[in-house]
Amino acid sequence: MRATSGLLCAIALGAGLLGSAVLTASPPSSAWAEKAANTQPIKVGVRRLTESQYRHTIADLFGPDIQINARFEPDKREGGLLALGSAQLSLTSSGFEQYFSMASSIADQVVDPTRRDVAVGCKPANAKKADAACSTAFITRVGERLFRRPLTGAELKSFTNVASMGAERTGSFDGGIKLALAGMLMAPEYLFRIETAEPDPGKPGAYRLDGYSKASRLSYLMWDTAPDMELLAAAKTGAIHTEAGLRQQLVRMTTSPRFQDGARAFFVDMLQLDGFDNMIKDPVAYPKFNQSVSDSAKEQTLRTTIDLLVNQKRDYRELFTSNETFINRYLAAVYKVPFASSEEWARYTFPDSSERAGILTQVSFLSLFAHPGSSSPTRRGIKVHEIFMCEPTPDPPADVDFSKVQALANGTVRVRLLDHMQNAGCTSCHRRSDPPGLALEHFDGLGQLRKAENGVPIDVTADLGGKKFEGAVGLAGYLRDEPRIPACLVRNVYSYGTGRTADERDEDYLTDQTAMFAKNGYRLPDLMIQIASSPEFFKPIIPAGARPSATPVSSSATP
Amino acid sequence: MKHQLIGAGFASLIATLVFPATAAADWTRSYVVEWNEPAMYYGAKSGVTDPGTDCPKGTNPEFDWVKVMVDAGYTKAEAQWLRDPMNPTRSPVHGQNQMAFRGKDKENVYTHPESVADPGLTGVSGTIAEGLNLDDDTKNGFTSPTGETGIDNTFYRTLGCWKTYRAPPRLSSGALQFNDAMRDGGWTTVIVVSGKGNDPMNDSNVRVGVYASADKMVKDGNGGISGDYTFRILPHARYEALFDAKTVDGAILSTKPSDVMIRDAGYTQELELLRAQVNLKMQDDGKLKGYIGGYRPWFPVYKGWVNARGPVIEALTWVQLPGVYYALKRNADFSPTGPAGEKTHISYAMRIEALPAFVMTPDGTKEATDIVSFKAQASPETAKPQSWKVWEDGGVIPDKTAKIQAGPTTPLNVPAGYGAAGGQ
Amino acid sequence: MSLPFNRRSVMRGLLGGAAVCVGIPTLDQFLNGNGTAYAEGAKLPVRFGTYFWGLGLTDTPTGGTRWVPTKTGAGYEITPELESLARVKDKVSVFSGFRAIGDGKPNIVHWSGHASIMSGIAPGVSTRFDGPTLDTKVADAIGSSTRFKSLDMDASMSRKGVSYSTRSGGAFATPETTPLTLYERIFGEGFQDPNSDNWKPDPNLMLKQSVLSAITDQRLALMANVGKADQVKLDQYFTSLREMENQLAVQQTRPEKCESCVIPSPPKEPKRAASVDVVNSNTKQMARLLAMAMACNQTRVFNFVHTAGASETYVAGESKIYHQITHDEPTDARLGYQPVTSRIAGMVMQGLGDFLNELDAIKEGSGTLLDNSLVLAFSDTGYAKIHSIENIPMFLAGGAGGRHKAGQHIANKGESVTRVSLTAMQLAGAPVGEFGAGTMKTARPISEVMA
Repeated sequence: MRATSGLLCAIALGAGLLGSAVLTASPPSSAWAEKAANTQPIKVGVRRLTESQYRHTIADLFGPDIQINARFEPDKREGGLLALGSAQLSLTSSGFEQYFSMASSIADQVVDPTRRDVAVGCKPANAKKADAACSTAFITRVGERLFRRPLTGAELKSFTNVASMGAERTGSFDGGIKLALAGMLMAPEYLFRIETAEPDPGKPGAYRLDGYSKASRLSYLMWDTAPDMELLAAAKTGAIHTEAGLRQQLVRMTTSPRFQDGARAFFVDMLQLDGFDNMIKDPVAYPKFNQSVSDSAKEQTLRTTIDLLVNQKRDYRELFTSNETFINRYLAAVYKVPFASSEEWARYTFPDSSERAGILTQVSFLSLFAHPGSSSPTRRGIKVHEIFMCEPTPDPPADVDFSKVQALANGTVRVRLLDHMQNAGCTSCHRRSDPPGLALEHFDGLGQLRKAENGVPIDVTADLGGKKFEGAVGLAGYLRDEPRIPACLVRNVYSYGTGRTADERDEDYLTDQTAMFAKNGYRLPDLMIQIASSPEFFKPIIPAGARPSATPVSSSATP
Repeated sequence: MKHQLIGAGFASLIATLVFPATAAADWTRSYVVEWNEPAMYYGAKSGVTDPGTDCPKGTNPEFDWVKVMVDAGYTKAEAQWLRDPMNPTRSPVHGQNQMAFRGKDKENVYTHPESVADPGLTGVSGTIAEGLNLDDDTKNGFTSPTGETGIDNTFYRTLGCWKTYRAPPRLSSGALQFNDAMRDGGWTTVIVVSGKGNDPMNDSNVRVGVYASADKMVKDGNGGISGDYTFRILPHARYEALFDAKTVDGAILSTKPSDVMIRDAGYTQELELLRAQVNLKMQDDGKLKGYIGGYRPWFPVYKGWVNARGPVIEALTWVQLPGVYYALKRNADFSPTGPAGEKTHISYAMRIEALPAFVMTPDGTKEATDIVSFKAQASPETAKPQSWKVWEDGGVIPDKTAKIQAGPTTPLNVPAGYGAAGGQ
Repeated sequence: MSLPFNRRSVMRGLLGGAAVCVGIPTLDQFLNGNGTAYAEGAKLPVRFGTYFWGLGLTDTPTGGTRWVPTKTGAGYEITPELESLARVKDKVSVFSGFRAIGDGKPNIVHWSGHASIMSGIAPGVSTRFDGPTLDTKVADAIGSSTRFKSLDMDASMSRKGVSYSTRSGGAFATPETTPLTLYERIFGEGFQDPNSDNWKPDPNLMLKQSVLSAITDQRLALMANVGKADQVKLDQYFTSLREMENQLAVQQTRPEKCESCVIPSPPKEPKRAASVDVVNSNTKQMARLLAMAMACNQTRVFNFVHTAGASETYVAGESKIYHQITHDEPTDARLGYQPVTSRIAGMVMQGLGDFLNELDAIKEGSGTLLDNSLVLAFSDTGYAKIHSIENIPMFLAGGAGGRHKAGQHIANKGESVTRVSLTAMQLAGAPVGEFGAGTMKTARPISEVMA
């Protein structure tokens, strides 16, 4: 029998998530071994780069005008976050082909005569031949940025060999550089974020994440890209291991305009906006839907969220209640309001009569979590719980008696769903998942306001665990005061930043962090600094099966 | 024949005299035009070209062009050779330019239609037409499909059996071609209706404004136009129509005529309408459907067809353009200078369908509620009329690669032995 | 009859070589009497693939079946939901009554059924399989000599491309999701026309190989001090790398000419809709491209998804998706089944019919490409209304080069689906003796359909 209460659900959630994160049969407890058996550096994490991380890194290094037109491997969502799923992903063979062609194309553009002087940074003695000095300089500099740590001697040798052999075979220095760069772009050290733990000099026998791994974690959390020169320097000198050094970087990064990129990437993940990539609506039911509307809806939610939480640094809970947003001409037509601006995007505040309240009544949420041709209170309700309260809903049981739940030609969807609540096999989940969705039923599958269905007025009262509310505004009020919501954000920031699913052992830490979050006014940038400054953020988890190599292999050696 | 179009200045003069600035209205409905075509009532029960009460023989049939050329004085072999696709002077895109030269002494009949005798153009012989009663005379004119008498639509009588115009609503080839161009972003026309009363459906003090907009329409998932988009009024030196009206059970009816100009869905872009009126119904589903009618100058209509390449129009729409000229001239039923003057104008109605939309003031900051003229703010760009280059070139597109062009004395180079067995 | 050269050496040369294209009209003296095998008894190379569609077929507990034929054995009749298979009926075997057995594990809806078929193991969670899938075993056996070890496709236009092929259980293959991207992958950059007279080894290939070897240089250092879970991911990466190396090696050998290989023109992008008509149109186009890919010897193994397990498809213009209708629609008291659901099931099956027809349209040897292929077609569920994993519809289509005694209806009520999976693998030439875990473990293929 499925979990029947929130508490059981949470436990089931924890067990389920932990279960899925471990691919082998090793018991979970040994994954927590912090006392290492040896004193060699150990690789504690391998996570594939996401598409936006890949793109940002290339743009940082070679300029935003580099075209990347291949197809990225799809991401996978685990425990509500793509960031957690990336820990399970590798490269499929079709993916490998795509990345290979991407790497070649990028390398081509980098050595293009219009760009190569700036991008390569040095000239060979003879343009038709190999040149060790210039290729070494290029590979060292670029390699460090791509691998997010200095290259080892062996790596440098490997790639400079490719460069010189390539120069010989193609009769051009740049031809060799192109091959070496393509190789670096295909290397697992670039495509995967490989985190390394080293013996902690301050605590003999214990491990800490090495400086470069810390730099990566910070950079991907705050800016969604590889560490810049300043952050790498802080790792190199060890400043990143000190409280002051770390704080300096945290403040620098959260006050930079690049923080917007990081915040955007976080919310695309948490709010599951990747669903827009392939969203489809039935044109007969929703003729206004098209690609422009889809793109605009995603952008509206991101702009609104970033403006509220990052630019204005307001209380996170206002995400549910604030009607201040941004729209463009396409969205104005869907929302059926005039677009009173000559710019592409304009601020807009929904009036009370619109029944809109915060993020749950934006076209993005309403249309992503609905069917192609109709709304879906159950889907929306499930996502309210999953995304904002970190409570996923179990799959429906196989043995449901559907004979009791028949299609209705008339009346509203609500009536059919209320039938679910009478059905013993369905109650436990639907009682919890449906109410938020039922309150949103004045919005159809595209997010347009509609107050009647089949000629019958739609009742949007709802009852969730005893708490009653009506309509989207009522739901927003309920969510604003629901403590699970800020707690879930804290959990998500932690999981997103560390790449680990939080489990029971983290509960105390998360509770403390949540309390601090509340005390400081529920502000997101402060939360990120707060979590990234906590020792738990950088705590390495030593995997059970890590074998030390026969010869010592340093994690970040210079040649 | 000299022809005078009403200049922008005159129209705006009328605007200020007849329409003083009004106070804020109590209700406003605004729309974007998603379809506009001449109101040509189709009298058959099925099909697109079938015989009906309007044209008992059906849509006007194709001409035997060889015969037309022979009648114009060409030999049969010359006529056949000219029509033959193998003839290098016949352009697959622009047609056979020599077709222009059918007048007396091989004069260009497109630019000098009176150089050839009237070939005739079968017009409508039915009694039913859509449109408006422009001359206040219920005995003069057609009967509308709903029984109203006195409908003045001589344009329809004259050209209503012509293939390019005749079909059920939204199906004529002409309407399809021009509306496609409009709906693909060619131009946008918006309509704002506002009134001072409490009930939009029954209000004696209503104003209607038809304006241009630079904002393109957006198509929906089924290929139709999406409603509810926002359009800013574009102050236009020429395209603006303001009406005084009343509403009766949701029908917007002019209370007095205006002289206006709007963008036409045709080869002649300017549609000047004198004594113009509206009859537009606000539908239950929020759409607007009805007519704008008035007396339009007939010569620019003819000129527009010629400007679209005479040979092409004649071949594709099965018409002899001089016939169009003669028919329009013969049937023109209005003189702006009074009953004794030359009848330069012809009664006409345009069928319009519009979707609800948001229409904003030119600066885009608020919804337009006052029906006023914006011509004073128009940029000089908007005063530029359309290009008449093809008309100036004789209604044909000259072949840039050819050494000699079609003309009255052009040698035709009929191949030796080219006989009766030739093209058509 | 004495031949001018040793048959065995020719065979070795032909079959052992990197590129054998079945399209070559083989000299009759090499073939056995009925043109299906080399005289030595070895079979012509066989192609293999899986075809998946979501939401099963109609077979209700009260006895209204719309797909199970009444006749068993050869010559089964075409039932309403199998009408689309009528044309190739004699090349298709129908398997009814087979079920997935959970051994106490819960039936994870729209997952346990096909997870059991593909991996042989009842899955524990809804996001992974608990073992590698059967197509990988076949690909390992027969897929290494072509440019692509296997091709994965998804015609469903759903939000995320779906593939049920996995080696690790956690990470599934990435499918091509439109005819155009499939075309680009096969016939775009990197394609070498096997019939071209101007074939020259591409010098860039060696350069690409050097790039890859610079990466493999680091492998040992990389794999040191890595935990088991991470090792799995890196292993998968290096497996994909090796497949690319294999591609490059194959591309450096002159390909054999393939008579049936005709390079198609690029298809148009499909309408962006997930309605059944669009999905079926995608299926047809992708099937055509896939068939030509196989005729041009670009791959021998494929996985095709028509609609995913919890299918999102719908009839254009209807507001309810098919999935909801399977649950919502009442059983008609007189008919004994859900009429709308059954109608849509027939529309969904049209995809399979079109798919097989495309494979059958390409002539090869004395038959068609379908005769030299084996397609295992199956769904995620039996009676979708109750998520039943009893009587999951399964089909084997294609002659498998003569090994498959097709055209039979095998009704084995209560038996494990893994028996059909095992049969499929063996017919395709994978050296697999047993398949599955727990009660689903089996070493007995269905010999009635094996020649």
